[in-house]
Amino acid sequence: MDALSQLASGFGVALEPSNLLWAFAGVLLGTAVGILPGIGPALTVALLLPVTYGLEPVSAFILFAGIYYGAMYGGSTTSILMNAPGESASIITALEGNQMARAGRASAALATAAIGSFVAGTLGAFALTFSAPMLADLALTFGPAEYFALVVLGFTTISSVLGGTPARGLLSLSFGLALGLVGIDLQTGQARYTLGAPQLLDGIHVVVAAVGLFAVGETLYLASGPRAGEEVTRVRGFTWMSREDFSRSWKPWLRGALLGFPIGGLPMGGAEIPTFLSYSLERRLSSRPEEFGRGAIEGVAGPEAANNAAVAGGLVPLLTLGLPTSATAAVMLAAFQQFDLQPGPLIFTTNPALVWGLIASLYLGNVMLLLLNLPLAPLWAQLLRIPTPLLSGGILVFATLGTYSLNHSTFDVGLMYLIGMIGFVMRRVDIPVAPAVIGLILGPMAEQQFRRALAISEGDPSIFFTRPIAGTLLLLALFAVVVPPLWRSLTSGFRRNRE
Amino acid sequence: LISKSDSTKDRVERAVFLAVVALGLFVLVGSFSIGLGAGYDRIGPRFFPQVVAAMLLLSGSSLSWGVFRRGKSSAGEHRRPMNLRAIATLGVALASSVLLLERAGFIPTATVLFWLAARAFESRRPWRDAWVGLVLSLTAHLAFTRGLGLALPGGFLGSLF
Repeated sequence: MDALSQLASGFGVALEPSNLLWAFAGVLLGTAVGILPGIGPALTVALLLPVTYGLEPVSAFILFAGIYYGAMYGGSTTSILMNAPGESASIITALEGNQMARAGRASAALATAAIGSFVAGTLGAFALTFSAPMLADLALTFGPAEYFALVVLGFTTISSVLGGTPARGLLSLSFGLALGLVGIDLQTGQARYTLGAPQLLDGIHVVVAAVGLFAVGETLYLASGPRAGEEVTRVRGFTWMSREDFSRSWKPWLRGALLGFPIGGLPMGGAEIPTFLSYSLERRLSSRPEEFGRGAIEGVAGPEAANNAAVAGGLVPLLTLGLPTSATAAVMLAAFQQFDLQPGPLIFTTNPALVWGLIASLYLGNVMLLLLNLPLAPLWAQLLRIPTPLLSGGILVFATLGTYSLNHSTFDVGLMYLIGMIGFVMRRVDIPVAPAVIGLILGPMAEQQFRRALAISEGDPSIFFTRPIAGTLLLLALFAVVVPPLWRSLTSGFRRNRE
Repeated sequence: LISKSDSTKDRVERAVFLAVVALGLFVLVGSFSIGLGAGYDRIGPRFFPQVVAAMLLLSGSSLSWGVFRRGKSSAGEHRRPMNLRAIATLGVALASSVLLLERAGFIPTATVLFWLAARAFESRRPWRDAWVGLVLSLTAHLAFTRGLGLALPGGFLGSLF
């Protein structure tokens, strides 16, 4: 039970009064910013990055964990009360939860989301406690070939999963990879694609791209469309649910957690897939499938649980391999790099206080969020009443502030605006922006590992296929590319034959 | 000032996908001006950019081809009107922010950015927007410089606090 003693030492770190305070500040800030319509968890984490600059790394990441989870809770409140999902993983909650809210059951929807998030978040943290050290041990055997194969698998699944069609996902990913080329090549020390600008020698920071795409791009997109006033459902008093709601919710919570954690840990774009899977599973298992789409509590309970468990699941590859599986995790990785920390198997031995303090703070953050959300939901809902013009102005101000404070550079601010304009165009033609953020951070990693692997094998490419783990991962990547279109053409052929 | 947009969506899509092809060509051509590095490096610094260029060319041209093949059949299918005035206002807001930041300092820059953004979203209360923007910028400036110890361009107003 090595993990338990490690976790105990982690609690020792997280329960220090100052760290407890940082965890609380994190969940408070994360909820407050995450609840604002149009601000998803990735943007919340990116915008709040400067807040952590003055802190010790351990405190900074405890604060961060709180922000991350707080943003998830805040996002579900927004989806339920005003049908404005801040990110793709909240679409289901917006669908089903908003129907409940309109039918006067907002309190039950908020309660099942909050308690389900708590249950799944805690189970997820528990699973993380035990699986992360095991994966870290396995990852110690990984060489450059394995890392390269892992990143390629991530590329293929992310571009085929996020966005309407694989071609659009691939386009977005390629754009991110192209942005990742900019800067000094670490192996040879040469500048690439810097266009003579010295500010680009260090490359394009992930936060610059994420804030540009998610804040500026989204604001431009919102401004370009019709002015639709979304209705905000009112809630009063302590949010709670009836015994019947509870008995309908607890199984979806557990099933959602079981789906969310492992899938969130795979390189498949984070929480989007498990929430959709949980929704369709609950609809299939329900004795009242006709209620789905009209406000079925199972359709909120399951996906919300899956969403939060997937966040914990996503921390497994992030901490043990340094591999982000979602845009939010990509921003988290950038935050680690800001502190000169490289997540990976070694961080468990070189910096145990940080890793286990972070994991322990996930348990604490979930308790805090439950206590903050159940009684205070009506208070949080007040934030939804901020008029759109003021909210958009505030988003742009804080996007500018956060980007400037990365390197004290106006150049970065201009670059962020420019990337935002590109993000706006992408949104207008239905190209997903999340793969670009992931590509930007994973591209340089893929290139490094690829070149290192070939340096080890003295140029022999068979290193990628003869090592069992690398070969298996690349085979899976090939499946991810080939199988879905093949499956589609086969089934459509079959359908045509039957007609 | 809302543009008509029946087949504009196709036109915009085609332009975007062709721009991606152009970016792919740019990356490809640019890769040849990267020096080859030392001989011990098996895969040089040109290889990966060329792979990325190929990906850009492939995805851009296949999507362009899709739009071309779809042709006029889908024109008008996705009507999505574009509010050009709002976009132009935000463009001015962003440009002013880049130009003002170092010269005027953070507080006036952020106030102007905030105020212009509110205009883009058709706020009818310019005075309120100005006050809210000023108070927000001032609070953020104080919180970041005093509270967190980060440096922001001060300018005249910043030097007063």
